[in-house]
Amino acid sequence: MILHTLYAAPSNPAFADCLRALQPQDSLLLLGDGVYALLPGSAPRTALLARQLELYVLEPDARTAGLDSTDGAAQTVDVDGFVALTERFPAQMAWY
Amino acid sequence: MATNARKRALVVTRHSPYGGTLARSALDVALAAAAFDQPVDLLFMGDGVLQLLPAQAGRSRDRKDMARQLAALPLYDIDHVYADAEAAVHYGVELGAAPLPVRPLEPNGIRSLMQACDLLLGF
Repeated sequence: MILHTLYAAPSNPAFADCLRALQPQDSLLLLGDGVYALLPGSAPRTALLARQLELYVLEPDARTAGLDSTDGAAQTVDVDGFVALTERFPAQMAWY
Repeated sequence: MATNARKRALVVTRHSPYGGTLARSALDVALAAAAFDQPVDLLFMGDGVLQLLPAQAGRSRDRKDMARQLAALPLYDIDHVYADAEAAVHYGVELGAAPLPVRPLEPNGIRSLMQACDLLLGF
């Protein structure tokens, strides 16, 4: 079980590389430009939601990007929640 | 958990060799881990397979240095080296001609490798 953190916009190779590495039961936290993957009606959002995984988004970054993080696609976490997530996972992979 | 248990690290290098410094950093970290006797696996993923293009006579000195450094990795006990087979096909990189022996992995092999390692370092 891996916690993936995605810090890059969907057009960045990090997004496609991350998708290829995801296993079901992994978790993915979107932060920085990674939050744009949740844009409603976008192909990246569709690709993400098609996966079985726990999806999280860093609330301050979502707010900065102008995203409504309450639409249920991802669980929002603040920085403390981010830290709590990292405590749950023995392995973490950063994509940027 | 045994405090002396050695964790298996996986360095995932995903960028081309000379556009930035990440490719160089990935190699430095892999070599540092090996110098401290830590088990380290190396995966060339996505654009990272571009580091595996062979050096050619008449190319720049940089190109030969990178290839020479890669060729020396097995001497430092870095011999679990893998490459993203899909990316190699995408870029037309012939993995058999790489500066060092690499094992091609399909996506499910990449996923298994990541799950099997304790410490994941992305570059």
